[in-house]
Amino acid sequence: MANNRTIVIDPVTRIEGHSKITLHLDDKGEVVDARFHVTQFRGFEKLCEGRPFSEMPSLMARICGICPVSHLIASAKACDALLAVRIPPAADKLRRIFNMAQIVQSHALSVFHLSSPDLVLGMDADPAKSNLWGVFEKDPQLARDGIRLRQFGQQIIERLGGKRIHPAWVVPGGVSEPLSQADRDAILYSIPEALQIAVRTISWFKQVTGSFREEIAAFGNFPSLFLGTVKEDGSIAFYDGKLRIGDATATLVADGLSPARYFDYLGEKVESWSYLKSAYYKPKGYPDGMYRVGPLARLNVADRCGTERADQELAEFKELQRAAILSSFHYHQARLIELLYCIERMEQLLTDPEILSKHVRAVAEPNAQEGVGASEAPRGTLFHHYKIDDHGLVRWANLIIATGQNNLAMNRSVLQVARHFVRGDKLEPGMLNRVEAVIRTYDPCLSCSTHAAGQMALRVQLVAPSGEIVDEVARP
Amino acid sequence: MAPVLIIGCGNPLRCDDGMAWRVAEALSLRQLPPEVKIMVQHQLTPELAVPVSQAQAVIFLDAACEGRPGELRREAVSPGPAAAAFSHEFSPAALLGLARELYGRSPEACAITLCGACFDHGEGLSVEVQAGLPQVVAMVLEQVQSALPAREEREYR
Repeated sequence: MANNRTIVIDPVTRIEGHSKITLHLDDKGEVVDARFHVTQFRGFEKLCEGRPFSEMPSLMARICGICPVSHLIASAKACDALLAVRIPPAADKLRRIFNMAQIVQSHALSVFHLSSPDLVLGMDADPAKSNLWGVFEKDPQLARDGIRLRQFGQQIIERLGGKRIHPAWVVPGGVSEPLSQADRDAILYSIPEALQIAVRTISWFKQVTGSFREEIAAFGNFPSLFLGTVKEDGSIAFYDGKLRIGDATATLVADGLSPARYFDYLGEKVESWSYLKSAYYKPKGYPDGMYRVGPLARLNVADRCGTERADQELAEFKELQRAAILSSFHYHQARLIELLYCIERMEQLLTDPEILSKHVRAVAEPNAQEGVGASEAPRGTLFHHYKIDDHGLVRWANLIIATGQNNLAMNRSVLQVARHFVRGDKLEPGMLNRVEAVIRTYDPCLSCSTHAAGQMALRVQLVAPSGEIVDEVARP
Repeated sequence: MAPVLIIGCGNPLRCDDGMAWRVAEALSLRQLPPEVKIMVQHQLTPELAVPVSQAQAVIFLDAACEGRPGELRREAVSPGPAAAAFSHEFSPAALLGLARELYGRSPEACAITLCGACFDHGEGLSVEVQAGLPQVVAMVLEQVQSALPAREEREYR
């Protein structure tokens, strides 16, 4: 009988949500397959059926405590489509600022709180020390910067939305309250410090990447499609725009796609071993239509950012490879460039006199029975799609979340990392951490992507072809 | 003058876990001195180390899950190491320790807890916790007064 085995990592740590990883080994101890299992389930799509459409933004924001703003915005945009209204220009700008504040705080969380232990302490660090507290001890300035940047984004959300978690300020037709001059001035006052931190962090990151050449080579470093939203001029867009899909050679596969017609070109597949659906690009089929979303994808498909410092960083970033940037390790740097862009762009929007306009909401009854809202969330493109009846009650909902769109790539990345780093039948901490770390590059949000309620953590199992679990490592 | 910070913690959608939110609401209706700042949070996070380090005193408010329902406790909190590897489990002691580690200062602090009876989904409080709210408010006000000794005697009740 062949001595095939499976390694199980359960739970996966320093990500949002609950998951485990199984690595399947052959009789020589070589990894032959790997799977990233998302083990939580929530079912928001069913939960909202029968509810008034006007409740959707607040209800959908409850999907996640980290990125409620993203769901609020995509949901409100879907409701705007149901109302068939054009929201006031000031509301449009305020929503953009809100979305970018969310991206800043979420990207800061990913880089500083979740991934910095790997980057500061190293992939082979003692697991007991490889956490936020270890970073606080080793590099207190970086820790202070992370805390300040996250606080910066959260404070903007709180000033605009009234509270930092689950704000209900974005409503169908616009926003519920205009921006006061005092709040505008307070946000503007905090921008120079945030900019300084963003620039300093990018500079630090570019210095440390030299220590991770092997990880860059093996962390999700394969050809795939990349999907992101761009403006008409091809620059990066977070709130509104057309979708663009590029391939590994940086050739555009599709451009000018309407997000409202996502179902024409994006499909979702359910696998029996995970609650997380896998999205794919329909013309290439499943699983060949694997594509990536999020910071790396957005920067790969965008021609430029549109602000001075971010464009300088983007130009340098694009020099990393001749065509598209393939390694998922580079998600980290892409995240920091986006963070810089968002701070610069928020300053531009806040100095627009129109931002203080009192006209921030268009009021209407439903004028359509189907609406799609799409925007760029921190982790990638987000779609909310609702159908309502004559009474304005939701009869059907579909959400396509960034993490689901990265699911195929995450699975392939785990396999690539495992094949590169896992040897034999015994799990070493550094190997385990690298398998987790490649998932962290995608910054998955499993509560969002399964539309589920959950805890968080990861587990690795070593499994034989017979199904026998030979070794198992779990982290509390 | 550095503020006296009241940090309430809990989930108002999990019955008695929302105790601190109710106390914060009651306190916000009082004529508290301007130095008193009230914050309510679902959980403690590293970002709180900044305002904590700038405060002259911190009062943590939370529902306890061990003890007799309705039991009120006040305990001094000292800066301590992080007991957990992940920031979802951030204790008042770890927050004070972080403030001292990163910002060079951790203030006097105490934790006031009221033991809950029900942590199910819901916005209502148990009879025991509902009955204990006035005592929690009184204890917080007493603590605030003791944290502001230099001020002329004032009654905040």
